Amino acid sequence: MKVEEVSAIFGRVLELGEVGANADFFALGGDSLLATRVLSAVARACGVELSFDDFAGSPTPAALALRIASLP
Amino acid sequence: MSHLVVVGAGLAGLTAATDLALAGVGVTVLEARERVGGRVHGVEVAPGSWIDGGAAYLGDRHTDLEKLITELGLRTVPTAMTGQSRFVLGGGGVSRDGGASPHGGASPHGGASPVGVSRDGGVSRDGRFPPLSAVALGELFDLLTELVDAVRPEAPWLSPIPDDQTALDWARRNLGHRDAQAFFPLFLGEMMAADPADVSVLHMAFYLRSGGGVRYLNAFEGGAQHSRVEGGAHQLCQRMADRLADRLGGAVRLGTPVEAIRQSSTNATVYGAGAEFRCDAVIVAVPPALADGIELDPAPPMPRKTEMTAPGRAVKVHLVYPEPFWREQGLSGWSVNAGGPLLSTVDDTPPGGTPGVLTGFVTGREATRYAALSYPEQRAAAVAQAVTVFPGLPEPAAFRVNNWVRERYSRGCYAALFGPGDWHLLGPHLTAPHGRVHWAGAETSTEFFGLMEGAIRSGHRAAADILRRYQ
Repeated sequence: MKVEEVSAIFGRVLELGEVGANADFFALGGDSLLATRVLSAVARACGVELSFDDFAGSPTPAALALRIASLP
Repeated sequence: MSHLVVVGAGLAGLTAATDLALAGVGVTVLEARERVGGRVHGVEVAPGSWIDGGAAYLGDRHTDLEKLITELGLRTVPTAMTGQSRFVLGGGGVSRDGGASPHGGASPHGGASPVGVSRDGGVSRDGRFPPLSAVALGELFDLLTELVDAVRPEAPWLSPIPDDQTALDWARRNLGHRDAQAFFPLFLGEMMAADPADVSVLHMAFYLRSGGGVRYLNAFEGGAQHSRVEGGAHQLCQRMADRLADRLGGAVRLGTPVEAIRQSSTNATVYGAGAEFRCDAVIVAVPPALADGIELDPAPPMPRKTEMTAPGRAVKVHLVYPEPFWREQGLSGWSVNAGGPLLSTVDDTPPGGTPGVLTGFVTGREATRYAALSYPEQRAAAVAQAVTVFPGLPEPAAFRVNNWVRERYSRGCYAALFGPGDWHLLGPHLTAPHGRVHWAGAETSTEFFGLMEGAIRSGHRAAADILRRYQ
């Protein structure tokens, strides 16, 4: 997935307009419940099923996109 | 308008009584119990140290409650937790491999990480969510959010959401993943003390919307459980009752369960505990099951509940220890236990740090079973579970239980559960007066339904209705 696509998911789930590539999900008001909604959206978009721990270690659009790309 | 009777000295009734007394109306509050507070109830865990045996939590959107807390000279304390959570998804008849268990069980599906699973299935980890598939939980929350967004908050019965099906029907149709199926009843129990078979899809969606949405209602920090009242929420009702009686010229009569209300075109008479109270109008501020049990003459066109309306299924227990031992192990006290009976626990230690209090929530179907046990059985089950979840805990110094399911003058907690058809039948009439009888209570507020905030708002609304109508 492109960073912009992950940013768009962050923005939708957090009900914010724009979310920068390096913005931290939890600093923007996200919590573990909303994080699971990002992961379900990622799974729908590209078929990759990440765990909550994957997300907690990569909580920005740029880091998460990198994490997704690193998976087989 | 010179005299009003309020039935029920909970937050709703006392709020309405206060508003009317301040407007110069003579007010008598009739309370069935020998205490005020209703579902707000203090438990003394050590001399002078109180915790909440009933309603406890608030967040920044609970603006009327925050205002009341300040007005009464009370303060809030944050519920912030530090340390790891404990998850036991394997015990108590729930199999980890799924099998024939109705709950399914934890499945390391799709990248979910079964971190540090011990022999009993217990896991310590960060965050409040159990180690189930995050994607499956996300799909569940997506579906719930879609439903919540479709609710019409001012008139829930007009929402395009089925009122004739239960949340259990909905889950069976919509939740494909075993982890979502396993988590859903735990979530509904925690959010609204409901068994999925109890509530209509509409009531589930409405309740989540009314409380501020799925995220807000679920969250501690930044959500509906952000803080609690320092020293116990019961002080709100005590102080309101004292202020009413001492400074505002009102009266609060305890031990006076109301049996009947008769009204004519010019006045009303309330009957209870062998006494009669003549007045100009009445506010009934008790839960629907109790309001429906009061004999009204003439009879109202609509009941306050139906056979489908269920009691909120919650039992709250408190295990008291010399200290919060779990903190020394880096644990927060938060746990989720799929096998019950305590489906979740939270550290309820007073701000001073002693005694250590572990509060357990028994909700939903589990509460129905647990509520029927004897006190020794309840204690044994809770203690056994506490030791499983937090290995090394000693026998508690004290065990307290608030069996809200069996509580005669509450008939359930957190709030009444509207079953199939209830919203369509009862919803449009929740706040409509029956002659001189007006209605208040946490179940009559479409905002923060069933919560302390909803109770307070309903009291203000009922008082304003009466002032508008009679003055």
